[in-house]
Amino acid sequence: MTSPGGGAATAFDVADRIRGKTASPWDVYGERIRRFEIHLNGSEIEMVRGPVAFEGFGLRLIAPRNGGVGVGFAASSDRTPEGVDATLAAATGVSQHASFPAKRVEFTGSGAPGTADLDLVDRALWEDPVRTLESFSEKLLEAAGSTPGVEPSFGSIRGTLAEVTYANSAGAHSGYSHTLVELEVAVKASGGAEGAPPGEYWVNSRARHLDSRKLVDEARSWATKAEDARHAKAPPNGKLKVVFPASVLSEILPVALGFRMSGSAELRKMTPTPGTQVAADAVTVVDDGLLPGAVATAPHDDEGTPQRRGSLVDAGKSGETLYDLLHAEAAGRRTTGNGRREQPATPAWFRFVSPPSPAATTLSIRSGGGGSDAEMIEATGDGIWLDQLGWAFPDPVSTAFGGEIRLGYRIRNGKLAEPLRGGTVGGVILTQPSEMSFLKAVTAVGGVPSLIGNLHSPTLLVSNVDVAGA
Amino acid sequence: MPPSLRSAEDDLGAALRRLEPRTPYAEVMAEMVEGRSVRFDKAQITPTPAPRLRGAVFRAWSGHRWEEAACGELTPSALTTTTEALARRLAARGSSGAPPGESPTGSHEAATREKKPVADFTLEDQIGRARQLYEWGISEPGIENAIVAVGVSRDERLFLATTGARTYQRIGRVRAFVTPLAIENGKVEFDFESLGGTGGVEVIDGFTEEKVRSVAKESKALLKAGAPPTGAMNVLLDPGTAGTFAHESFGHGTEADQFLRDRSYLKPILGKTVGPEALTLVDDGSYPGAWGSIFFDDEGHPSQRTVLVDHGRFVNVLHDRETAAAMHRAPTGNTRRADFLSRPFVRMTNTFVEPGDWTFDELLEEAKSGVVLQSCTSGIEDPLGGNMQIKVKKGHLIEHGKLGPIVPSLALSGKVLEFLQAIRGIGSKSAFEMAPGYCGKGHTDLLPVSTGGSYVLSHAVVGPA
Repeated sequence: MTSPGGGAATAFDVADRIRGKTASPWDVYGERIRRFEIHLNGSEIEMVRGPVAFEGFGLRLIAPRNGGVGVGFAASSDRTPEGVDATLAAATGVSQHASFPAKRVEFTGSGAPGTADLDLVDRALWEDPVRTLESFSEKLLEAAGSTPGVEPSFGSIRGTLAEVTYANSAGAHSGYSHTLVELEVAVKASGGAEGAPPGEYWVNSRARHLDSRKLVDEARSWATKAEDARHAKAPPNGKLKVVFPASVLSEILPVALGFRMSGSAELRKMTPTPGTQVAADAVTVVDDGLLPGAVATAPHDDEGTPQRRGSLVDAGKSGETLYDLLHAEAAGRRTTGNGRREQPATPAWFRFVSPPSPAATTLSIRSGGGGSDAEMIEATGDGIWLDQLGWAFPDPVSTAFGGEIRLGYRIRNGKLAEPLRGGTVGGVILTQPSEMSFLKAVTAVGGVPSLIGNLHSPTLLVSNVDVAGA
Repeated sequence: MPPSLRSAEDDLGAALRRLEPRTPYAEVMAEMVEGRSVRFDKAQITPTPAPRLRGAVFRAWSGHRWEEAACGELTPSALTTTTEALARRLAARGSSGAPPGESPTGSHEAATREKKPVADFTLEDQIGRARQLYEWGISEPGIENAIVAVGVSRDERLFLATTGARTYQRIGRVRAFVTPLAIENGKVEFDFESLGGTGGVEVIDGFTEEKVRSVAKESKALLKAGAPPTGAMNVLLDPGTAGTFAHESFGHGTEADQFLRDRSYLKPILGKTVGPEALTLVDDGSYPGAWGSIFFDDEGHPSQRTVLVDHGRFVNVLHDRETAAAMHRAPTGNTRRADFLSRPFVRMTNTFVEPGDWTFDELLEEAKSGVVLQSCTSGIEDPLGGNMQIKVKKGHLIEHGKLGPIVPSLALSGKVLEFLQAIRGIGSKSAFEMAPGYCGKGHTDLLPVSTGGSYVLSHAVVGPA
């Protein structure tokens, strides 16, 4: 196994092959991947997979066309000279039929900053992936099965070791390594004298590291929630105060704000006018491409621009727009380092198959004065703590979101009360200036942030949330 | 067979044979994907060739579980490296004993029939088709932009096993969608239409100007729509939403690996009546022309029609070789890998509600009040809990037995078995539709599936989404 930062030359080799063969500016993004997986069936390991070894590149060139540019993109896992030539021909071919409203796009040859402070690699996973995953799995199974009446029923732990390389026609030449850990596990509570049906708590997360230190506490929490799910009832019907933890917000905000605050939305006249009130005054949202240990953190974006921090919502008012090179050029602005290849419809663990487009990295919501979760619950008085939605995934165009409550808790007299399950919670993240929205209805921002996937946020208390229930 | 897979077959066979001393059974699935998509809207035209991906995944029985390794190349050296890594692991495990279930035999080949061959559909043709859909979309006053995509792909899979089994299949898929955008003072709304299936370009012939303009009108209407209803009420699911119910809410619970994990709310009621006599639910991987159709699954077994609920009675579940052996049934051809990078699971193919005999107007009249759920966007399973979540882009209120005003995004919730028992009518064959989509196992491993049916009238909780 190659050590982090060493060895991979995917994009460099492709760049060497195509240099001088096209007059158009071009860039190449390469990935060399090794992936290992453990699949669980009940309390046993059902399957071990790996290495899943995969290496490929995405080649983009930008040709003048009808007063704008034609962007040609093609990707391939065929790195033979013939394969690279065929990919260049394919990209050249489609560029002659493509159109994008930028006058010209030029790549830069500047280098990217180092990765030392970004915490991108799980060293143990990199050095000995199968043993590290098996060891984690055994601890996970032990922890998840340590509560009487509770057992794991389904799951997987998937570790990806990736070496990214980037090169372009202006001479940029950079690379970095990172790891990605995807954990999915369902725990089931059953048995007991009362005859309640089994309950399940289903966890799904992405991170840079395998962290077994908190497993025992987390497993205890999952067991409690699985048991609570057995006895949960549907929520009441109406407009209620609802507390959203980071785990739920992480499914909603990065997708909705990430698109509607992007150059792609701006090109289609969907972005809010800068300075418009889009959220409550207490809400400040930063796109943070440098947050240590976050899955979207990298020294540079997927087209070689250094990542950075930028304010999307400042004290409730809309701020910067997220740009990649192309959309920045179309808007007469500079790229913000948000050229990202991750797409909703493709796997999260390799990206070379998609061209870059502007998207958020990690959204970081500034902590407020709401204090701890217990203080937020106390401040709510009467409402709902939302622990998990079935699938909140918003539609990024209208920013409407919603889903079934898989687990929540009624808040009564400032304390958590009976568990809830069923019914729906929904809303709209961004609306017309004259209309109320989810973000405008935030009445308190907690003081203790958590990093979950692409979101670093404290809990938010939101008023007048539509809840459909019994 | 195209040169890429044909030329690799000997090398794949040789690599597989290297595993034989270490395992009682091994198999390999090699894959090559190619295709092209065009995205078209007012801002940009983006034609993109599909990534040229090829590779192979080896699976071997280690005596007590499956082990896999995969590579993104079909060169002899890459195949050797991959099988050597797998062989080392098998040696360490100490393999013995045959794998559970029925190993495939025989040699079979099949390919999708294309009435209008994709090979004759040039990039200019594809852009022209996208432009036509776009222009139909924006011809509706008040619609300034429409996002259109037209895609073609071909997925070739070669499966070899140490038993001598061999299957080769080539599946062509064509899909198009159109999303007319209505934008006013910072508010953005849309409705959408999507067509897709296996075959040639004829798959998207059903996109007519009338259909696209109708969708554009709905996008515009959604801008002015009132708040969606909230609470328990009569719900009339359109064919796409009924199909998503059949797939997400019921179908995932019929994947027999969830039975073996004791993770299906349906396990205790196999053989029991779950709905009215009119209710029949089917999964059919051999359905001609459907988006989720396959000839063979990724364990080398042929796809087939499996009736899950037969006139109200829950009679069958979906199997791979392992679950079939455990439940003393035959494999149903439902073992699928998303691609050569992904593991196999028991998966659905084309899942639908068989039509009944009610007209749409009769169903509205029967409901009297409630909401019609239309333009389904997503659903998610709850295989153990038996709850449902289905999201739609729009609905229409039902008032006094007639179709009322449009309402925006909604989510459907409730207990699946209660929903089934509350079914009061199923629409006729004339309304039957199959819609293309993608399905994950849990949160990963997306692969193409169809969902379909006719209208279904029942009772459930709805709310904004």
